[in-house]
Amino acid sequence: MTLYASQSLLEQIHALGEAAYPEEGAGLLYGEIRGDDRLATGVRPLPNSVEEDGRRRRYRIAPQEMIAAEMEAEHQGLEVIGVFHSHPDHPAVASETDREWALPWYSYLITSVREGRAAESRSWRLTDDRSMMIEEAVSVAQEARW
Amino acid sequence: MVMIRVPAPLRPYTGGAKEVQVQGQTVATALADLSLRHPDLRPHLFDDRGELRPFVNLFLNEEDIRSLQGTATPVAEGDRLMIVPSIAGGRPDQPALPRVDHAALRTNQAVIIGSLIGAFIADSGWLVALVGAIMALGSLLGVAGFLPIYRLLRAAGSFKPDVLPDHPEPHRFAQALGAAFLLAGSLALGLGVAAAGWALTWIVIGLAALNLFGGLCVGCLVYYWLSRLGAPWFTKTPPAGARPGRRPPAPSDSPR
Repeated sequence: MTLYASQSLLEQIHALGEAAYPEEGAGLLYGEIRGDDRLATGVRPLPNSVEEDGRRRRYRIAPQEMIAAEMEAEHQGLEVIGVFHSHPDHPAVASETDREWALPWYSYLITSVREGRAAESRSWRLTDDRSMMIEEAVSVAQEARW
Repeated sequence: MVMIRVPAPLRPYTGGAKEVQVQGQTVATALADLSLRHPDLRPHLFDDRGELRPFVNLFLNEEDIRSLQGTATPVAEGDRLMIVPSIAGGRPDQPALPRVDHAALRTNQAVIIGSLIGAFIADSGWLVALVGAIMALGSLLGVAGFLPIYRLLRAAGSFKPDVLPDHPEPHRFAQALGAAFLLAGSLALGLGVAAAGWALTWIVIGLAALNLFGGLCVGCLVYYWLSRLGAPWFTKTPPAGARPGRRPPAPSDSPR
């Protein structure tokens, strides 16, 4: 259970989290699947559809965006493999809200943004029984490769 | 037969199938048939009460069923039902703060200042000890020592409570600190070290006045300072939007 990503993709994701600060930034991860591992190759930033007040601690991606993203990914021969979002001034640990709303199988990559600077990124997956989010390894290399 | 399109994250529960043919007259019965065919899918679509999970969106021939008749929307042969997850989450909420009546705290401070100045004028170490003991008792009970006086004043009317979301612990600690100063002071007075005894008493008067008139709770500041140092028992951090030791913002100021 590993999420592979290139250094430049991770930097792109960090930049999205920093740009959204102090609100939560979010997007979908595109990539390839191999068994229980995935290789993230792209990120599609998505508008946070939570009303203004709640954006500092919530994000939501509208279903229409989701349909468009799935079609775009499919067009590129890729899959939506997971979701990226930032936790402003909060650890990169999946919250109770994250678990309640999570879908199985997806990789939930969370970036902690402290005082406007991306600090750490960790990835989580929902267990089959929905009881918890377990951490998966994130393997970052110079180039996007398994 | 109706065709249901399953999103990638739910495909492991349909044996990898992207599309599943089901029977049903409405969206609800079609979904029921789907979860009968693939029981492992059920917990991801429905909660314990059998309600659709909030992130499950259904599009019938590309139209959101919420704008149709919801799950009661009829489906016909050849229709295409799409399950689309909406993705959401976020960092944890701040746990709700307890309420602290700051009017009770201010009354407490006013009574402490008044009685201690009275004790100084009357040169009564016993009165200092009494005020210290009442404050210590209040701290043990987790209330303002002179709460009964505040209650009497409120019962008499014209006294408005000033209830704010706040941590009671720092105020409790501040009062306990004052009690310790006064009990030490009264001990010094009893032992004949008047200068030390009155100095300790005046420190308490000064800090209570700073809180009452200046709105700064020095004891709370010490509490939050110890909390930052990671001292055991000092677990609370200042309420969101409040400077340590200062009055926290009124609830209407907070988002949501």
